[in-house]
Amino acid sequence: MESTQSETITDLCQRLVDAAIASGADQAEAIAGYQHTVETRLENSDVHTVQTTDETMFGLRVFAGGSLGFITSNRTDPNTIKDCVAEAIGQAAAIPADPLNDLPDHQELVSIDGLFDDATAAVTVDQTTEYAAQLVEQVRSRDERIRIDSGGVSATTWIGALASSKGMQAVESGTSADGHLFGMAVDGDEVASFDYDGDSAHDFETMKSVVGDAVERFADKCLSGLGAQSGRSFKGSVVLSPDVVEEFILGNLVGTLAADAVRKGRSPLAGKLGQKIAVDGLTLIDDGTRAGGMRSSSFDREGVPIRRHVLIENGVLQTYLYNHYEARAAGNGTTSTGHAGGGASSLPSISPVQLELAAGDVAQDSLFDGDEPIVHVGRFSGSTNSITGDFSGVVKNSFLIENGERRPIKETLMAGNLFTLLESITAISRERRLLGGAELLPTIRAEGVSITAG
Amino acid sequence: MREALELLEDVVSGSDGFVEARYHAKSSRAIGVEKGTIERSQYRTRSGVGIRVLERGAWGFASTGNLDASAIRAAIESARAAAIAGSAHKKERVDTLPAARLARGTFDLPGVDEVLGRSLEEKIAMASRFEEAVRNAGNAISSASCGYSEIYEEKAIVTTDGAAAAFRLVRPELRLQAVAEKDGQLSSGFESVGATGGWECLFRGGTGESFAEKAAKTATDLLTAKHPEGGRATVILAPSIVGLLVHEAIGHTVEADFVQAGSVAAGRIGKRVASDLVTLCDSGSSQFYDGAGGTIPVDDEGVVAQNTTIIRNGILESYLHNRESAAKYGVAPTGSARAWEYSDQPLIRMRNTYLVPGVASLEEIIAGTKDGYLLDGPRNGQADATGEFMFGVQEARRIRDGKLCELVRGVTLSGIAFDVMQTVDAISNEFKWDLGSGYCGKGQPAKVDAGGPYIRCQAVLGGEQ
Repeated sequence: MESTQSETITDLCQRLVDAAIASGADQAEAIAGYQHTVETRLENSDVHTVQTTDETMFGLRVFAGGSLGFITSNRTDPNTIKDCVAEAIGQAAAIPADPLNDLPDHQELVSIDGLFDDATAAVTVDQTTEYAAQLVEQVRSRDERIRIDSGGVSATTWIGALASSKGMQAVESGTSADGHLFGMAVDGDEVASFDYDGDSAHDFETMKSVVGDAVERFADKCLSGLGAQSGRSFKGSVVLSPDVVEEFILGNLVGTLAADAVRKGRSPLAGKLGQKIAVDGLTLIDDGTRAGGMRSSSFDREGVPIRRHVLIENGVLQTYLYNHYEARAAGNGTTSTGHAGGGASSLPSISPVQLELAAGDVAQDSLFDGDEPIVHVGRFSGSTNSITGDFSGVVKNSFLIENGERRPIKETLMAGNLFTLLESITAISRERRLLGGAELLPTIRAEGVSITAG
Repeated sequence: MREALELLEDVVSGSDGFVEARYHAKSSRAIGVEKGTIERSQYRTRSGVGIRVLERGAWGFASTGNLDASAIRAAIESARAAAIAGSAHKKERVDTLPAARLARGTFDLPGVDEVLGRSLEEKIAMASRFEEAVRNAGNAISSASCGYSEIYEEKAIVTTDGAAAAFRLVRPELRLQAVAEKDGQLSSGFESVGATGGWECLFRGGTGESFAEKAAKTATDLLTAKHPEGGRATVILAPSIVGLLVHEAIGHTVEADFVQAGSVAAGRIGKRVASDLVTLCDSGSSQFYDGAGGTIPVDDEGVVAQNTTIIRNGILESYLHNRESAAKYGVAPTGSARAWEYSDQPLIRMRNTYLVPGVASLEEIIAGTKDGYLLDGPRNGQADATGEFMFGVQEARRIRDGKLCELVRGVTLSGIAFDVMQTVDAISNEFKWDLGSGYCGKGQPAKVDAGGPYIRCQAVLGGEQ
């Protein structure tokens, strides 16, 4: 079934490329993805809807007369393909030529182990529903004050393929299983902050194991919000959980590493290659080649091989992230780093694949040492200006540690500047947590952050 | 559209039990211009049929991109099998759905032919012109961009209990960004508009050039702005911030699925949650003037979209319901069930959420404010089950002794929504939809709009860095 479907998807890509070239395109690239998902959704601490979805989407990128056209569709019949090719060529005719437009040449790919599991491809709605009901029971037995607002368990089989007029031919398939919960604790009239957790794996059985742990974290987070009081205002230390490191620090930092942001004057890291932008111990790696990684893949959105890159080494900026267009724009022999992001529904963007921060040299518990007050941030609901790095927002699932006491806080704001914060990190934990089966991140302590109690 | 409606009626008519079939064809076009280069032109089309079946008290859902009757019948059977799988573990069964004002007929919204009729070349020229206007708006501007996009939708919804409705709509949007630079310091200004309807709706608040000028001015002015002092403050919120507040911090807490899970609005119907100046509504239609970005004539369960009063004179009056939650609460559905694409199941979502205007003028409110801030232009926002919210603010202007003073930067606004609404002591007589380019996220996106008048209240500002 899977190999037949792979052939169908690969054939679809080649048909699209051939049709575009026959219609006058100078270059053409087709990317297609097939996905089959069975899923059980939870609502209000109960099974709500069970569903199955199957779909093939494709994207066709053409360059005609040096100009770009792009279309995506879920219809693969001959008439739709004909219309799509005409639309893409028509777009190119309406746009001025750009000499940087080009498709990458074919490159050899190395397959990644551990992406596909036969048993997961055969998972049924009965299995997802049975496990979803178990999650509800696990939460209920932990503490009846925890309400699941929504959540779900799913199993997906996917195939991705790409072909181009420059000889690119790539296909990859995989399975993924996911479980996640979103909710909050309610105790009488008190409603605590919502929180969420979940995890993923390529096989359903491993997913059940890691999601079991995620449910315990979810319960801990929900319950910790009960009894929260306002914090206090000071400028000082914060300890950021791996979730905050992922969403807040890396989520905002990676955009400034993208070569298009650098070229367009939107990145404060422009011109800082080889310079110190963070403390010594901070080393950021992007490795989409790790066997079994949930975001691992042998090729990027343009078919370029994905490799391991050290982006920041001991605080020194090593490289920006490039797709093929931005590499050509940078010149001087720059080549794509395999960071073309996106899928069949989008033009290639620039994004990291699977990040990890190197482990530090101190035990996680020691991050809380000292006499000064510390805010331990479990979640940050805030706003970061990607251009200036200024951030401000509310801390959630967070604690004030002071005078040997640790108490949950609410209505407390955290503000600062991301790039200043990178230089004021004072400790990185030895322990790291694998988030979503993909990103491996430690806990971090930083100084000089403004805390304002509401 | 009539063809799709007839196909669904034919397929569904032979089904057992409750079946809901929704044909949904969505196409979107996007053009991106940045620093004088057309960086992006793309077109996306996606169509299919989503099926929901209620069987043995449980919901099953399946979808197909194949529009043949046989494929749709197969999807009905997949959804039925899924519902049966769910029923084995479902604790609280859905026995019956309440009577509802089910739609029958065609309900096209205006603007479709006008927007789709403009050529790609004209749209590219328009986006290029606006980007150039940003770029040329001053020496400090180092980067400029303009994004134009439009979503065109066709829907047909048929249920076994009587809905048979079809409609078409179009939603154009425009986004402009300016980045200013001086001595290595960067700042940005952002303007966006979105509407359901044609060009007049999109540009009701100004021309593209005027938005470009405003984005550039904001970026330039913020270069030299200081950060505010943090802490509790008197704030006057512009319609854009009011819209974000009522959507994120109140609207979500009154979505009946979230209420059942225990949101802060649970059990508070009939109780005071805001000052008596506050009346809050959520409407499927565009009140006050045409073009609100979340407008729908019929929801994705086939129910005619209502104008629902959520808070009346400070008293919580209604939640937002789909048919299932309405049955549970013993009320009529509000027409709030929405699905983003054919493969998504309908969820309870807001449409156009707004605060009803008052009688004061903005000038009077500013003049009556001794010490505070005027806040406009949301950058982003999040809110919690508790009603606690946090919004980034693009423009914050200091008010001293009733007069507008200097601009400050990096401002965030937070508070507990119902507490903040209790402090509202002035509401202006203006009205503006100002969130039309917004997308709401709840597992799947939804086009929404929100707005209202200027209001004065107390909240917490994120401050000094």
